[in-house]
Amino acid sequence: MFISSELFIQVLAAFLFMMGTLIVIQRRNTIMVLMGIELMLNAANLSMIGFSHYLSLVDGQMQVFFTITIAAAESAVGLSILINLFRNFGSPKTGEASILRG
Amino acid sequence: MDSLTYAFFGLGLVAVILSVIMLFARTPITGALSLLGIMLTIAGMYGLMQEHFIAAIQLVVYAGAVMVLFIFSIMLLNLKKEVLDFKLMSPSFLGTLVACVGLFVLLVSQLGLHFESYNYLVPQGQFTPQAVVDLGGNTKVLAHALFSQYYLSFEVISLALLVAIISAVVLAKRKFD
Repeated sequence: MFISSELFIQVLAAFLFMMGTLIVIQRRNTIMVLMGIELMLNAANLSMIGFSHYLSLVDGQMQVFFTITIAAAESAVGLSILINLFRNFGSPKTGEASILRG
Repeated sequence: MDSLTYAFFGLGLVAVILSVIMLFARTPITGALSLLGIMLTIAGMYGLMQEHFIAAIQLVVYAGAVMVLFIFSIMLLNLKKEVLDFKLMSPSFLGTLVACVGLFVLLVSQLGLHFESYNYLVPQGQFTPQAVVDLGGNTKVLAHALFSQYYLSFEVISLALLVAIISAVVLAKRKFD
């Protein structure tokens, strides 16, 4: 192989973050947008764990612990907002909510 | 190069393929299942790096709880199969693709230039894999850090979870009209 596994983790995290950004910007389905946010959070977690492992530290793992907690809370709140959005507009498209009025 | 390293690169390749499938998914359930696959492969990579506690948290919280929430809401919303909601050749998609690939190339080039220098610029910590084994394993080391150095953050994060529970209940409740 041409690259070490530590560098491979960082490249993979950058790629997954890129795909998450593409999904968040380009998809019109609100559920897919939320999933893109989760993918970006996962990529950031992977990068932090990789650096924490590479530098023999434990702080990156603690940061990932807190990030996972916040991500779980964020997805619960986000999905309940999404269900309200669907109830109001009858469609999961992001364009329906462009005027931000019920 | 041993078989564990091959497993590592294989898991990464699976994650890359699944993320491409997720971008072009026609139905939300395809996207949800490929996101679940990505989370499982990332948990496998954490396990291969000897970070067992984070791997278990990733499996339980992400692949378990968060994905169940997602699949439940897909079931509740009863979404139909639809055409792909963006055009492959539209200027919007091409512009975003160029911007994201540019960001990726910049990140990778910076990593290639500076990754080795972290070895001597940043002081190495004390938690080498052998030291973690001697201290009683990854979970014990993390527990010591969590309940001494990060104690205040732990308490504050429980408050954040409480706020999230209350707001989710308030938001999901039907209006009395």
